[in-house]
Amino acid sequence: MGKDITIGQFYNVDSVIHRLDPRTKLVFTLVYVTTLFFARNPYLYAAAFVTLAIYIGLSKVPLKFIFRGLRPLMLIIIFMVLVNLFTVPGAKILFQWGFLRITEAGLVSAVYLGLRLVFMLIGSSMMTYTTTPNALTDGLEKMLGGLKKIKVPVHEFAMIMAIALRFVPVLTEEMERIRKAQTARGVDFQEGNLFVRLKKLMPILVPLFVSAIRRSNELALAMDARCYHGGEGRTKMKPLRYKRADGFAYIFVVFYLAFMISMAVML
Amino acid sequence: MGLIDIKNVTFEYFRRDENGDVEEMIEALRDISLEVKEGEFIAIVGQNGSGKSTLARQINALLLPGQGEVIVDGMDTRDEEWRLSIRQRAGMVFQNPDNQMVGNIVEEDIAFGPENLGVSTEEIWNRVEETLTATDMEEYRTQSPNRLSGGQKQRVAIAGVLAMEPKCIIFDEATAMLDPKGREKMIKLVKTLQEERGITVILITHHMDEVLYADKVFVMKQGEIMDSGAPEYIFSQRELLEECGLEMPPLYQYLYFLSGQEIISMAEMKTVRAEKDLSRLLQEKYGKTAEKAAAGMKTAPLTDREIAEKQAESDMVRETVGEHTLTKGILLNHVSYSYNVGFAHERKVLQDISLGIDKGEFVAVIGHTGSGKSTLLQHLNGLYLPTEGNVYFNGRDIAEKDFPIKELRQKAGMVFQYPEYQLFAETVEQDVCFGPENMDIPRVEAQKRAYEALAAVGLPDDIYDASPLQLSGGQKRRAAIAGVLAMRPEYLILDEPTAGLDPVSAKELLQMLKKLQTGQGMAIVMVSHDMEEVAEYADRVVVLDQGKICMDCTVSEAFGQADLLERLGLSVPVGIKLLKDLGGAGVSVDTNQCRMADICGELMKLQEA
Repeated sequence: MGKDITIGQFYNVDSVIHRLDPRTKLVFTLVYVTTLFFARNPYLYAAAFVTLAIYIGLSKVPLKFIFRGLRPLMLIIIFMVLVNLFTVPGAKILFQWGFLRITEAGLVSAVYLGLRLVFMLIGSSMMTYTTTPNALTDGLEKMLGGLKKIKVPVHEFAMIMAIALRFVPVLTEEMERIRKAQTARGVDFQEGNLFVRLKKLMPILVPLFVSAIRRSNELALAMDARCYHGGEGRTKMKPLRYKRADGFAYIFVVFYLAFMISMAVML
Repeated sequence: MGLIDIKNVTFEYFRRDENGDVEEMIEALRDISLEVKEGEFIAIVGQNGSGKSTLARQINALLLPGQGEVIVDGMDTRDEEWRLSIRQRAGMVFQNPDNQMVGNIVEEDIAFGPENLGVSTEEIWNRVEETLTATDMEEYRTQSPNRLSGGQKQRVAIAGVLAMEPKCIIFDEATAMLDPKGREKMIKLVKTLQEERGITVILITHHMDEVLYADKVFVMKQGEIMDSGAPEYIFSQRELLEECGLEMPPLYQYLYFLSGQEIISMAEMKTVRAEKDLSRLLQEKYGKTAEKAAAGMKTAPLTDREIAEKQAESDMVRETVGEHTLTKGILLNHVSYSYNVGFAHERKVLQDISLGIDKGEFVAVIGHTGSGKSTLLQHLNGLYLPTEGNVYFNGRDIAEKDFPIKELRQKAGMVFQYPEYQLFAETVEQDVCFGPENMDIPRVEAQKRAYEALAAVGLPDDIYDASPLQLSGGQKRRAAIAGVLAMRPEYLILDEPTAGLDPVSAKELLQMLKKLQTGQGMAIVMVSHDMEEVAEYADRVVVLDQGKICMDCTVSEAFGQADLLERLGLSVPVGIKLLKDLGGAGVSVDTNQCRMADICGELMKLQEA
């Protein structure tokens, strides 16, 4: 069931991108996604495409893996593109059949929207493909470190996230086991209308919830026993340190941003 | 003064009702005093609920004494200032391997403790390196903990504690969820740590065979220490152990039986440390003439080829049942099963399995971890459909479109591993009714069946209205099994039904299964890692290796192939080994006996010799 979902997973190979500091990748992702919002002409999309191609090429993540990650979301993307295609009004009508009408503006807008969504999804999922969950949370914790001063529990949030990621596979496996056990007791999860089916989820969700609580109690005890006492005075096995490659990456990000802004303003 | 000083500690907790009023006060520890010296190996044994875990948690300040005091390396646990130092000195490994891992990668998990202690980055790397070597886990360094076996996870947990450089490690039932091989490996590691690093060990367990390595054993019952002493002394206190719900290791049960029957003397008994010693002792005393004994001892280890030949010539693997010849029962005909068919990482878990299960049989499925046992079980009631081959139920192919799959699920009831985690309803009774009601059986009839099932598993009727969450571990397991029995299956399929239970609960559960088989003619198919329980309860054994059946025969035939079993990482029970050794040495005993009572009967014959 969960095997086909590659989005959000870590793809374990060694590459330049994998070795970049998570903060660098976070900043790049942020910049990349933001610029896409303002992209209104083909040059910008071309630039975004080339950048993404280089990014993927350097990361050594296979295209097949990336597209598989996109697959579950494809339906939503296609739906949004179609809505755009048929609803955006415009002077020049390219096609009309009954109430369905495609305008030139609609076509352009739909193509842009499709590209934008795909680029955004790939761009941001590249972040998780090339960064371990722990590095990701470390990066977030460090970047948002300033918020600690205004009493935002940044370390705690980061720890919660890391633990959640740790337990996703454990609970997925457990859910599968409970589902099978209840199937063995005669539940047919395919049968009945939506309401009936939702009700049938109770024998899965209740034990799963109970188990999650039991696990979190035990984990809390184990963390206590291993001297966990919050972020204060804590050291790191893998502290974040910028390297030369990060410097180059930041220079690239600045150029990319400058190019995108100037193109957007000029054209 | 010792490393750990527990003085007159009393600890109680309160059970409160919905309004927060005290309903009941439970004295978990009553005036406990004990001292542990640096470098000692201490074992604390007792049944579930005896207070042994509560006591363990006092030592690293996870719990604080109500009265009395606990001093660890000169520090009082009640003093908050010392709390972290105490936890650093006295590390703890818990029962559930999954629920004590914080890191997403093995090495990062090991680093968690030192990170909390503020150890420098460079030093953390050194410690991770060193502890990975000590626990023999180097090759898993960058793996996700989710991919490891239970035993491997526990070794990572040990590495994580070692990286904090403790003086003492407390193992809080840390072996309870492991299979016998994993347990053995872990206990050996623990012993090495004590001997080579001088680490003080406090081992909490209900498996008596683990305490053999201890310097001193404490026996607990209802919050009190009943007795303490060297393992040999504790083993001699048979009445006390029984009263505390503990069971001696099989070797010692035989020893006490033999000395009780005056087949061996007390002095001789003291010389026995392992099965080999006892076997030699009995052979020397009762074996026939030396030549005969030598002739009988010709059983040099077989070569692989000899084993293969032997297997081929004997009908160890039952003749494949021809097309549809078995019209009653469950029949797997040339079944193969692969995960991820058509993908690059396709993996064949079952290969060409042919197997018939008849009514009234007690079949044990054994094999090491990953041999395909669980996958095989799930083919028996159609949770998995074979990728090749067919499964027949009473002569009909279950893959047929109009095959009544619900009926199969009802007739072939399936109990998964740790079934208590599936309980979900508000009351025990409702939960047990769930199965029958899914079979569209009216409420009243479902209730009737639920009561029958609950009575069959031996649960008292005053808990029918209780929440399943309030039951004890053993009771939860039985309630979950009742949930399957209430469907009135003809075949009961269980995946490691005794995993994680204490010996007394495990024994009760197996006796109950045996009763269902002999009394109601229910077929029992059970996966087990415990060879002692296989020998004691099963009639037929199916041995799996890498997805193939390599033996399908009676229990006695299976355990006759000691070489083959050991090569597969499976052991032969002590008593069976003993009889076979004696038979080999020319003593006239029936070497085909497998149950402990029968083996004792055979050993009685030595009296006459």
